[in-house]
Amino acid sequence: MGLWLTGYAILMFKIGVILTGVLLLAAYLVLLERKLLGRFQARIGPNRAGIFGLLQPIADGIKLLAKEDVMPRGAHRRIFLFAPAVVTGTALLTFAVVPMGPDLHLGGRKIPMVVTDMNVGLLYVFAMASLSVYGVVLGGWASDSKYAMLGSIRGAAQMISYELALGLSIVPVVMLAGSLSLVDIVQAQAGRPFVLVQPLAFVIFFVSAMAESKRIPFDLPEAEAELGSGYHTEYSGMRFGMFFLGEYVQIQVLGALTAVFFLGGWRGPFLPGPLWLLAKIVLVVTAMIWIRATLPRFRYDQLMDLGWKFLIPAALINIVITGFVMVGI
Amino acid sequence: MPDLIIDNKKIQVAKGTRVIDAAQSAGIYIPRFCYFAELGAVGACRVCAVKFIDGPVEGIEMSCMVEAEDGMVVSTDDAEAVDFRRHVIEWMMMNHPHDCPVCDEGGHCLLQDLTVAGGHGIRRFSGKKRTYADQYLGPLISHEENRCIQCYRCSRFYQEYCGYKDLGVMGIAQRIYFGRYKDGVLENPFSGNLIDICPTGVYTDKPSRYTGRKWDFEQSSGVCTTCSLGCSIRVSARYRQVVRLEAGYSQAVNGAFICDRGRYGFSWVNSEKRPRQGRVDKKTMAPQKAAAAAAGRINDLEKQYGPGAIAVAGSGRSSLEALAAWHHLCQIRSWRGFFFDDLAAGPGAAAAVSGLSRENAVSMKAVESADMILAVGADPLREAPMLALAMRQAWRAGAGVFAIDPRDLEWPFAFRQVSAAADEIPGLVSGMATGNGFFENDSRHGRNMAAIRDQLAQSRSPVIVCGTAAGGQATVSAAAGLVQWLRKSKKDARLFGILPMANTFGGILLNGKPGTPEELIKGMESGQIKALVAAQSDLWKTCQDPDRLDRALRRLEFLCAADCVATELVSRADIVIPVFSVFEAGGIYINQEARAQWSQPAHAGGTPVRITGAGGHPPRVIGAAIPGGGLPPAWLAAWQIAGLAPPDSHEAMMDWMTKAYPVTAPVKTMGSEGVRIFPSQ
Amino acid sequence: MRKWVWIVHSLCTGFYTTLKHIFRGPATELYPEYKRPLPARSRARIILTADPDGRERCVACYLCSAACPVDCISMQAAENQQGRRYAAWFRINFGRCIYCGLCEEACPTSAIQLTPSFEHADRDIMKMVAEKADLQVNHCGKDGNYNFYDHAGVADAFRPKGGHANEAPPVNVRTNMP
Repeated sequence: MGLWLTGYAILMFKIGVILTGVLLLAAYLVLLERKLLGRFQARIGPNRAGIFGLLQPIADGIKLLAKEDVMPRGAHRRIFLFAPAVVTGTALLTFAVVPMGPDLHLGGRKIPMVVTDMNVGLLYVFAMASLSVYGVVLGGWASDSKYAMLGSIRGAAQMISYELALGLSIVPVVMLAGSLSLVDIVQAQAGRPFVLVQPLAFVIFFVSAMAESKRIPFDLPEAEAELGSGYHTEYSGMRFGMFFLGEYVQIQVLGALTAVFFLGGWRGPFLPGPLWLLAKIVLVVTAMIWIRATLPRFRYDQLMDLGWKFLIPAALINIVITGFVMVGI
Repeated sequence: MPDLIIDNKKIQVAKGTRVIDAAQSAGIYIPRFCYFAELGAVGACRVCAVKFIDGPVEGIEMSCMVEAEDGMVVSTDDAEAVDFRRHVIEWMMMNHPHDCPVCDEGGHCLLQDLTVAGGHGIRRFSGKKRTYADQYLGPLISHEENRCIQCYRCSRFYQEYCGYKDLGVMGIAQRIYFGRYKDGVLENPFSGNLIDICPTGVYTDKPSRYTGRKWDFEQSSGVCTTCSLGCSIRVSARYRQVVRLEAGYSQAVNGAFICDRGRYGFSWVNSEKRPRQGRVDKKTMAPQKAAAAAAGRINDLEKQYGPGAIAVAGSGRSSLEALAAWHHLCQIRSWRGFFFDDLAAGPGAAAAVSGLSRENAVSMKAVESADMILAVGADPLREAPMLALAMRQAWRAGAGVFAIDPRDLEWPFAFRQVSAAADEIPGLVSGMATGNGFFENDSRHGRNMAAIRDQLAQSRSPVIVCGTAAGGQATVSAAAGLVQWLRKSKKDARLFGILPMANTFGGILLNGKPGTPEELIKGMESGQIKALVAAQSDLWKTCQDPDRLDRALRRLEFLCAADCVATELVSRADIVIPVFSVFEAGGIYINQEARAQWSQPAHAGGTPVRITGAGGHPPRVIGAAIPGGGLPPAWLAAWQIAGLAPPDSHEAMMDWMTKAYPVTAPVKTMGSEGVRIFPSQ
Repeated sequence: MRKWVWIVHSLCTGFYTTLKHIFRGPATELYPEYKRPLPARSRARIILTADPDGRERCVACYLCSAACPVDCISMQAAENQQGRRYAAWFRINFGRCIYCGLCEEACPTSAIQLTPSFEHADRDIMKMVAEKADLQVNHCGKDGNYNFYDHAGVADAFRPKGGHANEAPPVNVRTNMP
């Protein structure tokens, strides 16, 4: 009984720490992005709230919370209210299977540094990623606005297309690790991170991940120049904030997954595991920001060409080659 | 009918047409400074130069000096002609001052327009500019001779067209000067037209000096309501104030000019004394409330004394709409009747209206082509000034002008006068028609009357001008009889009656026999009339015996005034309902020729900013409501005073009027020149 | 193959270019702390300047109000004691002004001028409505020596007819001498 309770308490504590950490990190990734973009564009970036603008995320949060929550007259009320939660919720849930570090031994108990080590962790990750499409589609549809509708249609098409490439690019990793569990995949990179053995898979995964998170140059669903703001055109206040937050949590998720699949997860010398993971996430996100600062948005046909005609065949070929090499060895 | 080609357009014009007019008839505007259709051509300014490519004349010629002929090929935009005109403007600008910013003409200046159009922007001549001393020309016109370009329009208009000699041209060579011999008020009662015809800013309007630029004005084309001629005017308003009147162009009425009385006689519109708020027993309130109060009191009096105790007094100052409304309301409420002031000012008005028909009516413009004019009991220069100008044009063309009048007449042309007493005139006039010939034995008038009769016998298109004020009904009837007799003897004789007010014709047309002020006063004296509604009535002004009127008014139990002018009746009235004037509400006015014309409103109405703001300064915060705005037009006030539901728009009012008074039906289809409505229709 | 080389090369160039900017440092300034000196011809707050001799330059010709595309200038001309045309009142609604400078271009006397002073925003819109007294200054602004009345040729209390630049004395019309 006591053991059981302690187990729950530890689980709750882990969830609490991860949620806090993830949300806080999401907020500061926004600041990081704005600061970096500023420097990329020879500007200063936010610097008014706190020193170096460190309180900017809090100011933004207060602003969003204080804003009026507007709903279009023709909107489907329940779905409209629910959609942002889907996006943020699915992104947050993905973190349940991301290992944060080596197992901790505390008072004779073995505490894994992961919320739950699922043996089909990878499938779970993809299930969550697929579900987040619903948030976009429902939000756009429920808004009763043509911009939002077009944005969500684009979003659905793009996310479904790139999920294929995303999934196929991971297959060689699974083949090498021999397991679908994320903990095992990290364990399998004890010698060398998979990025060294699977550079092509890494590139495909990284590009697809950016497309999944709908970031420039893949931001067609919310292309400001043509669609207002895409699927979340009609959202305001904290409901818009949820979409926004969801996007940054998703970036973290994808950063964490990139780290887990290709960069050795929490592994690294000198520093404790979680810090290494954090460092790797930030590294991946910084790369994404750099790409955002450099590349313009794709045209729709280019987007589809890249996904279907290049990434997916390349991923398939990569699987075949990996298979041959593995059998050969 | 010469055929010619101007700018590749084939044009056929009447013989004697000048090339400049021929081009204009084809929609090609040739620049001009000195040429003015009414004043003729002198070829002074040289800016209407065009290239004659082929035909009887060749080379650069002034298009105003050449009559159109068969086979002419003219180019207005030939490079040589354009260059010529450009240089002409440049040399005119040599001495023109650099003062457009402070000149009132700027913005509607012909010289400015053509200088810009000609492309002359920078002065190349480095010599000194010629200057002139200016003159004081009276309170209406300012003089700035520096700006003159020697087009001679002013002196030609002043001396040739109007026949006055105190302004003209003097000096020689480079020192040509247009002005008076010495400072002084201009004698010409048409001098305001100098402002209109001057192609630049030598003569500018003094009362409206510096008030604004043309583009800032709210402009409308109105009808002058100062006399019965109905001349066309251009009204300019700014900041809820009528600023300036200019001559409008009307082919059938006044041509291109108006008299100074019409041009400057509008100060009452902007007057601070003008009633702008409803007043009930010295308490001010909204006009609608005051009208409702008036309706209540009239109802009470009607119950007490019967409808016969209520009377309405109106005048030809009102629009046709208002007159129709009052006449109709008097009828349906069985009130005592509609009393028309104009019948006191012009006792002969009713006869002048009934004597007019489509055959014998004559427009003022057509008077200019009469070959003989006989004025009977009429002094056009005082009663309808522009008619005097038209008569002068007829005289210049060779028509003989005769007058039968007791007064000492002074007209700007030669005429022969029979100084008969007022009561003699009808006899003398009808004597010619009946052929009694009694005046051969008349020692005083015999010779002159014989001359008139002989001239009439020789003439083909005589015009009989008759006044309605001095002569009265008998004179007008005699004149109408004379016209009828002349027409029977195959002459194109015409009758021109001078009515007292702008809409006297309309009042009589609707009513046939409106009550006279004399009857009204008698009714008040006898106590039969207990309540009087003075609807834009000039009773006080037209009444010969103010003391008698004063006593009569004191017997009234209720006096209501609906007016846009602060008349004596307004100051005495128990209830005052302010109404919009013609400048704010517009209206239809029928002139002496039976020509109904629509006068456009110039602005939306309201107390001038000059009065409401401190020192003419508009308020910093402007609300939606216009101070002093929202007054009813006179016709609407009529309905409100009668306590009945009025037509809800001016359009509905017009629909109602043309149905209730079928004689007015043509006003629905009138064009810019109006439409003629005769009582016999 | 060449295509691929080109793709990789242009991608690298792009990323290198953006990367360089990180180390370049910001080109922007922190506004309220540092105020960049503006060129004299920058277009902001409007003033009514004075003649070199200190008299009012504006002759209330209405040209600025006519040129104004947003109708923010209004005035009323009048004649003063010295026989000069001047603005009895002059009003610019800065809440409406778009600082396009067309009024300055239209002004024939160099009276109305735009200045680089742009910090006059206010929460109270009525404070943005400037009257003549708010606009008048006692210097010539950008145009240091132009005096309209030197050239205009209109007589006033200061100069008679023929007393202006490049003018002959008034003509004597009563002489026949050449």
